[in-house]
Amino acid sequence: MVRSALRSALGAGFLMAAMASASAQVLEIGADASPTGLDPHLITAFPSFMVVNGNIYEGLTAIDKDLKIVPALAESWTVSADGKTYTFKLRANVKFHDGSAMEAEDVVASIKRVQSKDIASPLASRLSAVESASAVDPQTVELKLKEPSAALLSSLATIAIVPSAMEANKDALQKAPVGTGPFKFQEWQPNGFILLTKNEAYWDKGLPKLSGLKFNIVPESATRQVGLSNGQYALLPNIDAATALQLKGKPNVKLAETMDLAYMLIGMNVSKPPFDNPKVREAVNYAINRQEIVDAALFGAGVPGGPLSPALKSWALDVKQFACYKPDPAKAQALLKEAGVATPVAVTLKVLPRQDVKDIAQVVQEQLNKAGFKVELVNQEQGQFIQDWRNSNFDMFASINAGQPDPDEYFYRTFRTGGSTNVFKYSDAELDGLLDQARTLQDQAARKAAYDKVQQKLACSGPVAHLTYGTLFSAMNSKLQGYDVMPNRSLMLLRNASY
Amino acid sequence: MNRVLLARLIDLIVVLFGVSIIVFLMIRLIPGDAVAIMLGANTEITPERMAELNRRVGLDRPIVEQYLLWAGAALRGDFGTSLWTGRPVSTEIILHLWPTLELTFLALLIGAVLAVPVGCLMAQTRGGAADVAMRVTAIAGLTIPSFWLGIVLILLLSAWAPGFASLGYVPFSEDPVGNLQRMLLPAVALALPILANLSRLVRSAMLDALGQDYIRTARAKGLAERTVVYKHALRNALIPFLTSVGIMTGYLLGGAIVVEQVFAIPGLGRLILGAIAERNYPLIQATILVVTAGFVVVNFLVDFLYIVVDPRVRA
Amino acid sequence: MSRLAKNKLLTFAIALVAIQLILAIGAPLFAPYDPMAQSVARRLRAPSALNWFGTDQLGRDVLTRILYGYRTSLIACLLAVGIALVAGGALGLVAAYYCGWLDRIIMRVMDVLFAFPVMLLAIGIIAVLGPHTYSAAAAIAVVYTPIFARLLRGPALVLCESEYVAGAKAIGASDARIIFLHILPNLASVILVQTSLLLSAAILVEASLSFLGLGTQPPTPSLGLMLSEGRNFLMLSPWSAVFAGFAILFLSFGFNLLGDALRDTLDPRLRGQP
Repeated sequence: MVRSALRSALGAGFLMAAMASASAQVLEIGADASPTGLDPHLITAFPSFMVVNGNIYEGLTAIDKDLKIVPALAESWTVSADGKTYTFKLRANVKFHDGSAMEAEDVVASIKRVQSKDIASPLASRLSAVESASAVDPQTVELKLKEPSAALLSSLATIAIVPSAMEANKDALQKAPVGTGPFKFQEWQPNGFILLTKNEAYWDKGLPKLSGLKFNIVPESATRQVGLSNGQYALLPNIDAATALQLKGKPNVKLAETMDLAYMLIGMNVSKPPFDNPKVREAVNYAINRQEIVDAALFGAGVPGGPLSPALKSWALDVKQFACYKPDPAKAQALLKEAGVATPVAVTLKVLPRQDVKDIAQVVQEQLNKAGFKVELVNQEQGQFIQDWRNSNFDMFASINAGQPDPDEYFYRTFRTGGSTNVFKYSDAELDGLLDQARTLQDQAARKAAYDKVQQKLACSGPVAHLTYGTLFSAMNSKLQGYDVMPNRSLMLLRNASY
Repeated sequence: MNRVLLARLIDLIVVLFGVSIIVFLMIRLIPGDAVAIMLGANTEITPERMAELNRRVGLDRPIVEQYLLWAGAALRGDFGTSLWTGRPVSTEIILHLWPTLELTFLALLIGAVLAVPVGCLMAQTRGGAADVAMRVTAIAGLTIPSFWLGIVLILLLSAWAPGFASLGYVPFSEDPVGNLQRMLLPAVALALPILANLSRLVRSAMLDALGQDYIRTARAKGLAERTVVYKHALRNALIPFLTSVGIMTGYLLGGAIVVEQVFAIPGLGRLILGAIAERNYPLIQATILVVTAGFVVVNFLVDFLYIVVDPRVRA
Repeated sequence: MSRLAKNKLLTFAIALVAIQLILAIGAPLFAPYDPMAQSVARRLRAPSALNWFGTDQLGRDVLTRILYGYRTSLIACLLAVGIALVAGGALGLVAAYYCGWLDRIIMRVMDVLFAFPVMLLAIGIIAVLGPHTYSAAAAIAVVYTPIFARLLRGPALVLCESEYVAGAKAIGASDARIIFLHILPNLASVILVQTSLLLSAAILVEASLSFLGLGTQPPTPSLGLMLSEGRNFLMLSPWSAVFAGFAILFLSFGFNLLGDALRDTLDPRLRGQP
């Protein structure tokens, strides 16, 4: 009796599942990891970013899929002649998900919140140029800068606007975000799913087309793949090449791809031997065979990468211009000899615990060991890795970094003496001069010239060996229409999608 | 009987006390500055943040006071708030408890229900090649890594019956059918070693019972073979069966941690693995304490049942 | 079961374990390749004459890595169970021999350790020590110590009270002498059986921990880690994960069967039963 009851129960289950998928408007997304929180000013990791960015929250500006700056909550803006005053005209009739109107004071509060020492937002450095923010009238915001900042508009796209009541609140938004975006937060079952529903009052009329987004947290890659193939999930965002390869050609599955802004890197600590010697760093670059890494770890889906992503077409230099990008283990050995270090050079390489980074680290280890190094891999938990990274407690580390649409956002804090993420302790007066100058330049050609020099300088003997930029894949059900993927891994264009 | 029970109850309290001390010390044994390490993964480290976290975790007081405060709060079911989400730890644990309990229960049910006929079958084919084959199969079932079996099952099912494999989790109260449909596969993956273990137990209990005088007497009285075996032997098998169910619960919890990961079930295993990744030590501490206490209490209850079932222990 | 069938089973179990031990010890001799040698061109290949078990995601030979993986697993588990045996055994014997309050204290502490579900305590210990093969081994050792302590205390208690030991005490034998010469040898069969069964379980625990990323770390070849890495490529090339899974199964199976067969052969209480 039990058995027959079970069988009919299973039968009914099929039926219900079938009916549900026929009428489904909520997009079922298979996400690989659980967000640790949803406060847009505190989160740093991809799993959180993916849920909130552009879906729940918006900034004054936004980045489109070609990485161009477009208006978002600000309808338009003007810049003073000296480049130190920005005036934003806000969009009318924008409401937060709690029903209150989004006005200038909310924008001011959001900027102050990010800058607040008490909130300790990791985004604070992006607003380091902003001296003050003030509400001229409910629809107008004025930002005064300490010095001109060419990257400001791009940075503002990452600063979510939250209700002014949240200015001093550290906890509430982590659990229950309140934004202006096309989807509003509905439910979070920890380690289970996060459900967002359509914001009926969204300012862009007609959007979103879906009635909701459900981020199912499914840590196992094989399980996500099965879920997509059998129609349970309609979208696997930002998957790696190996997963894409496995899903290619499956019935009802289509793949979208774009060049990733994020890049794999090897960081070197220049505050102690052996990497205090630029020749040793150059040797690392000669020893590394980037194409081989692309082939091995990225299954050919990617390109050898310099300091800037090839996705930044208007900035990035062709890597053929960098001499050290032609792999040459013999030259690496010679450089080590010139540097006067004892070979093999014994160093440790700390590895961020992600499968793709672990794979790449193993390839790099093998390559370096063939060219006069003796690399020991140190695999750590996430927390330990980040702590060692922050405290500059490493010889070398292997990691993946989210890229930025504007060169200043990456270069300044990473390579400027005393920069907020200059964990390598790199310091070069000439480079500092270039970076200081380039961020204040208004003229695009002059800025480009400055950043060309920066790239040339960093490519072979900088503290970072930039390895690869992968092709970023998203796999989706073929019924999902109108969805464009973004190079910065944001899912903000889901507002245009229909299913 | 009361005295035996009382002695066991005192044991239980002593063990729970010891468990709480070990779990409490765990966070103090972390090499380096625990607070800096906890913060390390998530936010900028500032002296203010460190002081605040120190206060929140209570690391700024003398150690005995820390323990008393912590244990006192824990007894009231208060484990503080999760470091990063601000949700109460007890809420997090309760949210994640049900899927694990259900998974464990289903696996135990499947294993136990199937173990009786399989074990009887094994007992009846004793001796010879069939017996050896069954035994070897049972041991193989015992030593299959359940996470590996889980992945293989998912892949095979998706290849053969694409519509069948539903993944993730829905609470039983919301959608009983969907719930069972999703829990069946992970429960089966987890149940195999239980089945192997329990069926061997049933087998030996049956063989034991068949050799007893009273069974021979019963047979001699002319009762049918089937009645003899089931009525008398199974009752005897019940006691070792219950004991190993207690022990199995521990195994199941461990297996569930890995199987949950494979089948995307938001249970305690996922909670604790996530907590490790984000260095949420208070959460790890509380989860280990609660689960272990539950495990200890289950074993106590099993002992209690044992006393009730087996009159000999009462004496 | 007949004596003969029993002996056959035991012989089979011993052979199964011995073969795997020899493969592990002789890995450098038997392995066709360097376990770390990568080859991008030959990545994720199916089994062939060149690579009998295929290659993994970095083009390393799966057979080679399994042989070395046996080593890692066996070293970790032998170490863990060995430590548990020595520590737990010593505590159990001491507790039994000296009885009284020392016994009570030791056994209460053992009860506490035994109260933890194995995986949970292991995860807790690794949270403190950081993920590593030896952390996993330490965790397993701690968890198994009370099992040996309990195992040896019971029979030792009986032996202590026996006339046999009383006789030895009477002729003035030292405590250590009594423990090592009179008590321990009588418990050898129990120890052997339990060690074998726990090794089987330890292999599964170590594999589970490595699978979760909490045990052995790359590039060290480990069976659990191979399964863990290989599972990301299951639909492209299941070979690495499948063979690693079978290796774990055979290893754990071998020890379990050995323990089982040993129990049948050595345990006088069971001897002669149907």
